[in-house]
Amino acid sequence: MPRIRRAPTGNRLRVDPVACDGVGICAHLAPRLVTVDSWGYPILPVEPLDRSEQRSAALAVAGCPRRALFIDHG
Amino acid sequence: MTSPLTRADLGQRSHPSDPPRPAAPAAIFTAPAAIFTAPAAIFRAPVRFAPLSRTAEPDEGQDRQGVGEHVAAYGPRPDATRQGGPALIAALERSELTGQGGGHFPVATKWRTALAAGGGGTVVANCAEGEPASRKDAALLQRRPHLVLDGLALAAETLGTRRALIWLHEGDRATQSAVARAIAERREQSPLDVAFTVALGPDHYLTGESSAVVRGLNGGSALPSLPRQPAAVAGIGGRPTLVHNAETLAWVALVARTGVMTASPSTGSLVTVVGAGQLAVVEVAPGETFAELINRSSMASSRPAAVLVGGYGGSWLPWAEVAAAAVSDAGLRRLGASLGAGVIAPVAGGHCGLAETSRVLQFLAASSARQCGPCLFGLPALADLFARLSAGRCNEGDLRRLDRYAGQVIGRGACHHPDGAVRLVRSALRTFATDVRRHLADGPCAGAVRPALLPVPDIG
Repeated sequence: MPRIRRAPTGNRLRVDPVACDGVGICAHLAPRLVTVDSWGYPILPVEPLDRSEQRSAALAVAGCPRRALFIDHG
Repeated sequence: MTSPLTRADLGQRSHPSDPPRPAAPAAIFTAPAAIFTAPAAIFRAPVRFAPLSRTAEPDEGQDRQGVGEHVAAYGPRPDATRQGGPALIAALERSELTGQGGGHFPVATKWRTALAAGGGGTVVANCAEGEPASRKDAALLQRRPHLVLDGLALAAETLGTRRALIWLHEGDRATQSAVARAIAERREQSPLDVAFTVALGPDHYLTGESSAVVRGLNGGSALPSLPRQPAAVAGIGGRPTLVHNAETLAWVALVARTGVMTASPSTGSLVTVVGAGQLAVVEVAPGETFAELINRSSMASSRPAAVLVGGYGGSWLPWAEVAAAAVSDAGLRRLGASLGAGVIAPVAGGHCGLAETSRVLQFLAASSARQCGPCLFGLPALADLFARLSAGRCNEGDLRRLDRYAGQVIGRGACHHPDGAVRLVRSALRTFATDVRRHLADGPCAGAVRPALLPVPDIG
């Protein structure tokens, strides 16, 4: 489903690929933001998060058992 | 655009405890033009290596510069303490010098970032040359070690630190002993300008990746990581850290001698030309084209079909596209490629570019740090599909999978290793498009069974 962004925040959802083990919980918690590749590792949007997406991004970050996901405020 | 700088801007060493230095020698200011206009500032002749060896082949006169010959050739090293640092950074900016290890990040920007973060910290000469076909750093450290040490000392003085590390592969004995000998020579002459310390990392392709250097020197494993802040801001011990390739530091040493007085100082670059059974380190003059370089390096066929530029994570380009381009990162950017670590591998028509690529891709897959999923799984998947293409056992569906996997791997690692593998795959499919169709229709070509041109070490 295409993302419609009305109020970009400047924050990005990012993953530390060294820490990530491809558990895949993020794709369940934030299905509109996170898809998985052929090997089960998350593919994240390159563009900044929209205001409406911040909540689900925060859920995915909190739910990552490897603490690999983070919000990049830069 | 800058007003001519005076010698005073370089800063004079005035510590009472410092040994007396010769008054600023005329050589620095009269000789410089030759360094940058003559095609050979560092090496007058190619330095040759056998493919898998890191010991330069002996040649007439064993062209190594000790500290005496070094000072005679280039003049003594200027001082970068106090006012000298800013003048040197401005000269580096005018020279547009970028990181010659492969990243080609502007040197002046890195130094300004480190100073803005408070300075101090550590400077590192990254001499862990991992590219199997590159020998420029080995050639420099074995023949012109004092240029690299000068550059490292200048970086340390500009940053206001005495901590200067030299990062080497533990198995690279020839370069280690060359560096140890150079440091001993300097110590014999006068108290050391900065505290040079040699540090050894494992013999891995990625040991020279800059985040791996910082992680290794911080006491961790020497593997890439995803730093939340650049090393120039928070590197070793959380302090500003400059990690520079050996060649970059050699050019810093030359810019410091000549560029401070020059409106637009230019630097050349060292490249390794890959020929049948030999690697030759050649110094490229500013503006020199690929056609000129291949013509004067007698080892290579004068009209190759294609050239691999950068390194094993570099780009294939058809000879017709690259022949008139300048051998520089800027020249190659216009073609969608990069000078990378300076490897230039021309391949003649009789060789199979797909078979060469396949062997290199196997090496890249085996060289993954195995930390990031997309690299750990994606690179072997790409390598397997490419091996089938090379062997002529590939169908249209495999080609589509190759394309899909490439899109899923690029940009997804902590370091740029997987990106390099994708660059190699995509540029090979484009450059050897005719061969791809032939391999699909008729099976492998005759060139596929010829001996490998690109040296690939045995690993795993």
